[in-house]
Amino acid sequence: MTMRKMLFAAVSAGAMALASPSLAATELTVQRFFGACDADFGTNTDVGKAVGECGIITSLINKFNADNPDVHVSVTTVEWPGYDQLTAQFASGDAPDIVTIHESALSDYQSKGLLMPLDDLLKSVGVTPDAFTDAARNGATKDGKIYGLPIDSWTMLYHINMDLFKQADLVNADGTPILPKSPEELLAQAEQFKQKTGKPYFVQNLANETALYTRNLYTYLFQQNSDFFADPKHVKLNTPEAKKVVEMYKAIFDKGYTTKDLDYGGAINAFLAGQGGVQLNGTWVVGDNNAQSQTKGTALNKGGYAVYPYPQLFGGTHAQYADGHTWAVSQKDRTPEQTAAIGKFLKFFADNDFDWSRTGHLPAYKAIITSEAFKALPHRNTIAAVADLGKPLPSAVQRQFAIQDIIGEEMSAAITGQKDVDAALSDMESRVNELLANI
Amino acid sequence: MADQLAMPHTATPAASVRTPSADIYAPQWRNIIFVAPFLFFFTTLLLFPLLWGIWLSFHKADTFSSGNFVGLGNYVRLYNDKVFLQSIWNTFYFVLLTVPTLALIGLFLALCLNRRTRTAAVLRTLFFSSSVLSVTIVTLIWRIVFIPNVGLLSTIYGWFGATAPAFISNPSLAMIGIAIATIWWCIGLPMMLFLSALQQIPRDIYEAAALDNANRWQTLRSITLPSIKRTFILVIIIQIVLQFQLFGQAWLMTRGGPNNLTKPIVLYIYDTAFRRWDLGMGAAASEILFILILVAAMAQYLVARNKGDRA
Repeated sequence: MTMRKMLFAAVSAGAMALASPSLAATELTVQRFFGACDADFGTNTDVGKAVGECGIITSLINKFNADNPDVHVSVTTVEWPGYDQLTAQFASGDAPDIVTIHESALSDYQSKGLLMPLDDLLKSVGVTPDAFTDAARNGATKDGKIYGLPIDSWTMLYHINMDLFKQADLVNADGTPILPKSPEELLAQAEQFKQKTGKPYFVQNLANETALYTRNLYTYLFQQNSDFFADPKHVKLNTPEAKKVVEMYKAIFDKGYTTKDLDYGGAINAFLAGQGGVQLNGTWVVGDNNAQSQTKGTALNKGGYAVYPYPQLFGGTHAQYADGHTWAVSQKDRTPEQTAAIGKFLKFFADNDFDWSRTGHLPAYKAIITSEAFKALPHRNTIAAVADLGKPLPSAVQRQFAIQDIIGEEMSAAITGQKDVDAALSDMESRVNELLANI
Repeated sequence: MADQLAMPHTATPAASVRTPSADIYAPQWRNIIFVAPFLFFFTTLLLFPLLWGIWLSFHKADTFSSGNFVGLGNYVRLYNDKVFLQSIWNTFYFVLLTVPTLALIGLFLALCLNRRTRTAAVLRTLFFSSSVLSVTIVTLIWRIVFIPNVGLLSTIYGWFGATAPAFISNPSLAMIGIAIATIWWCIGLPMMLFLSALQQIPRDIYEAAALDNANRWQTLRSITLPSIKRTFILVIIIQIVLQFQLFGQAWLMTRGGPNNLTKPIVLYIYDTAFRRWDLGMGAAASEILFILILVAAMAQYLVARNKGDRA
């Protein structure tokens, strides 16, 4: 009898031990890009101390776990943008609960019924779409419903090495950089820069790259009022407007006004080492570049760092290509506890969007973008304009990442001289239309 | 072994009485138990996906639904797709770059290292060691070598005030860059195959040649090379089948660029089926690759059969 009691006690204790983690916390799976930095921020919960996209998001999730003992978030980090894995996960019925998705990619998954509409869930935790900036709300809304919690709006920027700009005499009396107002001025200033500094005006990551080329094209097509996606199922790119843009970048390449063989990491290093005047990169490096400019002995510390939206080179609408990041929730059966935990997570990110905006991204909430704290962050006076300038592709355009690859490949071929500009534009248009016709 | 199994039947009459017509080779349904595990995995992991792939290639399907029957529509689209045709050429070009080089360098290394010294043993291990690395590590190492400005190659060229060739972005060099990394990675197997073939050549032929005053070159041409001819063909065929399936190196080093010049068929399939969600066309491209590899495998079979005839 005693033996049986002991056995019973042991089995009960074992069962309790096995069951306790699930009793203690609701488990949520989160999948994100933005890189891995566990060595530096793996246990950091003081978000204010973190810098850069990876540092801030890692610390935010750590803080969420620390503040909410009833929820446990386990994170999977994927290589940017991570859609190949996500698609495979959805196809095999093993998608994460919460996942980072670009506003430009939301419609791919939403159109297949894979994402959960968030209006009711967000309302239940006190987050309403009228709190979002217009850009964020439009980007996250598909078919009249919110399919992702917007966390930012981002765009490409002119990151400027002021020391080299001073050497090139491209600085106004008030200390601001002189930026071009037309393609001709751009080429003239790039020539002047090259003559005076011996270095290329642009630091671009052109080696096996597609995103940069495509974003540049979209921006300068917007600036010429080219409505190339008037029909979301049919693109028009074999146009005089597109030709002007490609020829401008080809001239920059041919005349040696840009670095040529660098990949993304190489371009960042080259800019930080002072090997060129303007790096074309996104909002996400503003925080890191600013930190560099405050470190003694660096190339950016020598004469300062400035950052501006793309200059208006053409006579059309003042605009540039923009997109945004969101947290989307996969569609699956969940317990009320799990749904409530997801609500808590989204609310936490909505509440802490100021910390995320320290990366350089523009906040997705009106209250933050108009706050004094945000305006006091470095360089926000010059880049906050992007909130109004930023323009995405029409939200009904599907497979925007695949389209980006096609356009980037063809632009790269034209700019580096592997293909005639007209042939590249014609191939670009027919390849994108072939893709869209077969969705 | 067969005799031992048969012994009980012949030694004990009682046993033979119990099973008067015991033929262990007679077909029996329960034998299926022995092949069932293999059949199960063969059917579910090979046969079913193969047939499903063929079925998909005739449909307009995406990752989340299989749509309408389109007949040969996907194959027609492939035929008209410049990028697909480019990827077939790229794959052949890559095979042409790597296979002969692997065979020749493998043979050269085997000839140099076919001796019983400690140095040769150490070098054999060293040359084989790259084969155990994963494709991710191999491409990482070669990216560090090739990367402009800070890479090993740039540093070395920098000492002489020269600019290093851009192996990952120059259109005419990118595939060669991938081929160099692949040859460095795959050289172990051909070298080992040649070594084992060299060690099977009888010593007395060399002794006879030495008595006839044959020099090194004559020995190599008249004895060594003819003796390892079959291994040479084997190495070529194994490498053709292997290199036809190029994917990891191209994806990790160049992403198929610049201008799709390093995009092999497998990467095209991945791009089409999983990045563009055009599963039907991806399946059609897979069937074309299947036929190409089948032809290579048939060639291997024919060569192997001829070898048997001669032996």
